[in-house]
Amino acid sequence: MSKKLLEIRNLTMKFGGVVALSEVNLHVSEGEIAALIGPNGAGKTTVFNVATGYYTPTAGEILLDNESVVGVKTYKIARKGLARTFQNVRLFGDMTALENVMTGADSKNKVGLLGSMFGTSTSKKDEERSHKKAAELLNFMGISHRAGQLAKNLPYGDQRRLEIARALALEPKVLLLDEPAAGFNPQEKVELGNLIKKIRDAGFAVLLIEHDMSLVMKISDRVSVLDFGQKIAEGTPSEVQKDQKVIDAYLGVADHAS
Amino acid sequence: MSTPSSTNVRFNLRDKFGDWWEGTTRNQRVLFRAAVIVFFFILPFLDNPILGTNESDFSSVLFYPMGMFVIMAIGLNIIVGKSGILDLGYVAFFAIGAYTHAILNLNFGFPFWINVFLGMGFAMLAGLMLGLPALRLRGDYLAIITLGFGEIIRILAINFNFTGGAAGLAGIAAPPTLFGIEFVVDDPKPFYWLLLTLMLLVIWAYLRLVARRPGRAWEAIREDEDVAEFMGVATMKYKLWGFVLGGAVGGAVGAVYAGQVTSITPENFTLQISIMILACVVFGGMGNIWGVALGAALLGYFPEKLRFLSDTRILFFGLLMVVMMNIRPDGIIPRKKREKVYDKNTGQEVTR
Repeated sequence: MSKKLLEIRNLTMKFGGVVALSEVNLHVSEGEIAALIGPNGAGKTTVFNVATGYYTPTAGEILLDNESVVGVKTYKIARKGLARTFQNVRLFGDMTALENVMTGADSKNKVGLLGSMFGTSTSKKDEERSHKKAAELLNFMGISHRAGQLAKNLPYGDQRRLEIARALALEPKVLLLDEPAAGFNPQEKVELGNLIKKIRDAGFAVLLIEHDMSLVMKISDRVSVLDFGQKIAEGTPSEVQKDQKVIDAYLGVADHAS
Repeated sequence: MSTPSSTNVRFNLRDKFGDWWEGTTRNQRVLFRAAVIVFFFILPFLDNPILGTNESDFSSVLFYPMGMFVIMAIGLNIIVGKSGILDLGYVAFFAIGAYTHAILNLNFGFPFWINVFLGMGFAMLAGLMLGLPALRLRGDYLAIITLGFGEIIRILAINFNFTGGAAGLAGIAAPPTLFGIEFVVDDPKPFYWLLLTLMLLVIWAYLRLVARRPGRAWEAIREDEDVAEFMGVATMKYKLWGFVLGGAVGGAVGAVYAGQVTSITPENFTLQISIMILACVVFGGMGNIWGVALGAALLGYFPEKLRFLSDTRILFFGLLMVVMMNIRPDGIIPRKKREKVYDKNTGQEVTR
């Protein structure tokens, strides 16, 4: 059995009286694409927000590469290897595509503010590293021709790609993708599926939230289903598709599932 | 969505300058920079009826308000324009610098040159002490706190004995003679040159910072603080640095101001200055240092130039701001970067 890179144990998240997540167990193993599905409001994005330290969980354990990250600051968790994208694209709009990715790559650098001001050799090395890394990733995502353009001026599809590139710049152990195919046409969804597989093959474990079932079923190795903050099923795509609880909760009648 | 710049055929002075600048050699750039610097150093001698201010001494105007506004606006631009922290109490740093020089000079005889650095240091310390709790808040809440900070410093100065109370402090030493240049009250030129030197240092540091990691971190925070944090940016650290560095500039300018006017009262440090400097930043183009500098220079210059209109000049000044903000809501030189367009197939930059 391969190593669990991200492990969420008995996670409970309450907002006042509202229980957003209750006793959820999830994990992402090395070299896999895990998917998290569920109806709207099931708590999928909350899982991301808790795992990345944006919310502190009410109870439960979050292990990133066997190290607990509960209570650790968000930017530190990001540097330890948990990067994410957002349901609604959230780029640094007034920065160029290259700068967006460099900002992510910077988190692996050592140089501080004074070092940058005086132009120490570390700062020069780090600048070069960030620049090279960012250029590579733009190329990997197929948007190197957008490098010098402002993020807010890019076409929607390229913005989605840029967001993934920026997350990859953190060299994460696990990449969290929040509905990456939202707003894509079927052709673009196929391309995105291939891209996500390419990302996995490049050595990143992926946890994917997605509403498009055909995409989830095609690319994920394992699917977990959330409903009303509880995990109701887990297994391979075909197992989950047959699960009666899942069908009741989410997929509805069987002919909607395909 | 704005239109891509490649289809934008409107004449754009900045792009023209950018194109020209990119085509220059290293030597040409050095020459250009030197020429600009020399121009500003001899500016006080170029007093003539067209350029100069006829009703008030031109070199005086160049020091205050123009020079002061420009350098403070550049300092505030680090806070407001780059990091996106709305600071309505910038005058506090200015006051701390001025009072540092006044108090240390009058009580302990510290010379000006030491006090400039101490003024910077105390302003930074104040920025740190305010920033640590306050920068946890955002937007309106933070703005209100900084507004309060500006007022608190002024009110403290009125109520303490060692600050001279409402009467302020007088007889503050001017800077000692340096390289044969005497700093005397009736000649503002040396003070203007001092300010200009300080400005060059600030611009040098600023340009280096914004082109590298800290600049990206600040911009990311301004664009979306949460996302910056998710992308591994230590947002609190960079916000604090921005706040403290902006404060350092204000502190240094304050000490220079105290050295020039030789007497200060709390009334020199009212909210109006904070608002004026913020107006300079917005008017010039938030986040663009050249725009901010130009905006501050113009906002310092016009009221003096229009002095022949006596009190109605404020009316014209207001009108000018209303018109300008309608024509160019992002400021005179907005921060929008020059975009480079790359060819999809070759990856080569496309020349327009």
